[in-house]
Amino acid sequence: METVIKQSGKTQVFKDKANKVMGISLEDAKLTKSYLSVAFLAILLGGILGLLQGLNRAGMLELPAWLNYYQVLTAHGLLLVVVLSAFFTIGYFYAGLSHTLGGLLPKVRKMAWIGFWMKVFGFVLAVIPILMNEASVMYTFYPPMAASPVFYIGLVFIVLGVWMCAFGSFINVASWRKKNPGQHIPILSFFATGVFVLLFFGSIPVAIEVFTIIPWAFGWVETINVMVARTLFWAFGHTLVNIWYLTAVSAWYVIVPKVIGGRRWNDLLTRIVVIALVIMNITGGFHHQIIDPGISEPVKYMHVFMSLAIGFPSLMTAYAMFAVFERTARKKGGRGLVGWYKKLPWGDVRFLAPFIAMAAFIPAGAGGIVQSTNQLNQVVHNTMWIVGHFHLTLGMSVVMTFFGLSYWLIPYVSKRVLTPQINKLGVIQTIIWTLGMIIMSGAMHWVGLLGSPRRTSYSTYFDNATALSWDPYLFFLAIGGTLLMIGVLMQVYAVFYLMFFAPKGNTEFPIAEVEEDEAPTPRWTERWGLWVVCMIVLVGMAYVIPLVDFIVNAPPGSPPYKTW
Amino acid sequence: MMKSPVYGLLLLLALILPPAANLLESIMITHMHMQMPLLVISGLFMAKFFQNRFPGFFSKWNENGVPGLLLFSIIMVYWSLPRTMDEALTLTSVEVFKFISLPFLAGVPLRDSWPKLSSFWKHALIIFFTILFLALGWLYIWSPVQLCNNYLVIEQITLGWGFISTAFAMVVYLIYSYFMDFSKYE
Repeated sequence: METVIKQSGKTQVFKDKANKVMGISLEDAKLTKSYLSVAFLAILLGGILGLLQGLNRAGMLELPAWLNYYQVLTAHGLLLVVVLSAFFTIGYFYAGLSHTLGGLLPKVRKMAWIGFWMKVFGFVLAVIPILMNEASVMYTFYPPMAASPVFYIGLVFIVLGVWMCAFGSFINVASWRKKNPGQHIPILSFFATGVFVLLFFGSIPVAIEVFTIIPWAFGWVETINVMVARTLFWAFGHTLVNIWYLTAVSAWYVIVPKVIGGRRWNDLLTRIVVIALVIMNITGGFHHQIIDPGISEPVKYMHVFMSLAIGFPSLMTAYAMFAVFERTARKKGGRGLVGWYKKLPWGDVRFLAPFIAMAAFIPAGAGGIVQSTNQLNQVVHNTMWIVGHFHLTLGMSVVMTFFGLSYWLIPYVSKRVLTPQINKLGVIQTIIWTLGMIIMSGAMHWVGLLGSPRRTSYSTYFDNATALSWDPYLFFLAIGGTLLMIGVLMQVYAVFYLMFFAPKGNTEFPIAEVEEDEAPTPRWTERWGLWVVCMIVLVGMAYVIPLVDFIVNAPPGSPPYKTW
Repeated sequence: MMKSPVYGLLLLLALILPPAANLLESIMITHMHMQMPLLVISGLFMAKFFQNRFPGFFSKWNENGVPGLLLFSIIMVYWSLPRTMDEALTLTSVEVFKFISLPFLAGVPLRDSWPKLSSFWKHALIIFFTILFLALGWLYIWSPVQLCNNYLVIEQITLGWGFISTAFAMVVYLIYSYFMDFSKYE
């Protein structure tokens, strides 16, 4: 029999009370506010660039001579994929660590600040060459396209900044565990640990990639092994995707049940989902390379299994979420097979936005499974379908969850309250965003199936009939993009209003409790070192065969190309 | 409630099936790092059956777990040799021995020994295999000649890196268990 330990002890009860009475400490609040401010400024800038890009891609707007499509694309990708996601994730989880672990350690807070400035510095370094049109390599910055070396040096600082935050969180969690023997890491900090483990291990491959690119971009070495670089990039690229996703999932499991007045799903199963996602994630990178030459068919076949395995914890999540909704709604008197849905708080943006985010993950996840399948991937790989897919996953499932979180997280850290007017604004924003994203992403999926390529600026290909037939769909892309821009403006207004102008007051950090009759969680879920070892073994299984092949049987390397 | 031995037997039978065996044996690294560990795992699952059937045997011959550990190690070391892999592919008798020895002479004794062993022996076993894997990794990667008649040099190098990465994971585990005192958290 596995030994089990109690869920909560006296220390925890005391800290919970202290946190409830006093709220977050001013210093911890300042840290999270800074991270979130950068995140939402990034969404504002990224959104404007996205609109420009969408209008240009639909053939409705000519960009000025000093700004080209690929420049805008690179900046849009970097702002939203790297800056928004990393800053929001870190700001949110550091508030969570502070709340659930009884405040950040001074040392950890300092590390998070150093990380903050390293990331900002790195980002400024990366942006300069983009503005100078020296780094229009897009977010997927792998060879053979080469940017200015300054761009890659900027990326190094971003990675180092992320590592500072990851180690900060590990130190805080370890110190808490020492002070609270026999207790489980509070669930939100457990999610944070998983996310930071992934952030650290997922960014090792990209660090290696960037260190091999820098001498090549400087011209110190003539060629680079493209397949190795791409593989290292995607080991990171895919993990990054799942880091945002795991961040959103943490809110679905922990926050949303509290917002709707219910209890959270089984603690053990929740922790198993986190552990499974951490162990299996990095190897998912290969499904981004299904049509890459140089990877043998058996290896690709193996990776279909490895990728689809990641879908399993997501299916567990889908089940868990709807079970929680139904259970809560029935407790409130909901009736019927599906009639209980009426009892959910649809007018509360803190529920509505994450709910639509979850619902969006149904088609988004299904699309992901489609793309992991060899034959289907051949059809959609280089088309707008993929762009539609990641706007559904990142732009809806993840970002709408982040939006939903912001309506209580920002008042919580700024010691203010959510007003009914802002809640209403949030609900309208959610509807506009949903419509915008459905229209844009739907059009992208469809036009992708008709063959419209991604990573390509607008062209009618000498008025070719097929290319012209894409135009009506591209208009929808522009319409959706315009709605999204309105959504961005409303969201950014709400965020800064809640941060600086909303009425003062206390906002609760909503963490749902487990069901009362739930069996205690076994202790083995806390053995993080073991999960990391399992992850390393799995990464070894996935990467040893192809990497040895790429390196030993390497073709002549590629010189740097500037295609723009 | 004796489900696990049945699963173990099913796993063993599945691995014996010619298409499965041929597939796994067609690539050197899956032969050694997938088929062989899976055979040991099938033995781990089946151990309960033998423990219940012959309790006297195990308590008499494997009282403190060390004999079982020794038998496991000998069998594993034997199957780490390039020559034995080659023979398994050429001689049916050796192939049969592989399917018997790994589950029943490695998996079963390991399962019986593990709970009986002190943490010293457990760590000693992991350290021993870490060193062995590093040495084998070195051998397979930097050997100037083809070690197996049945596998190409590239496969040999791949297997070598497989050994090194597994050894790395074990080193991480050892560091983790050295620095972590679980009694502090309980």
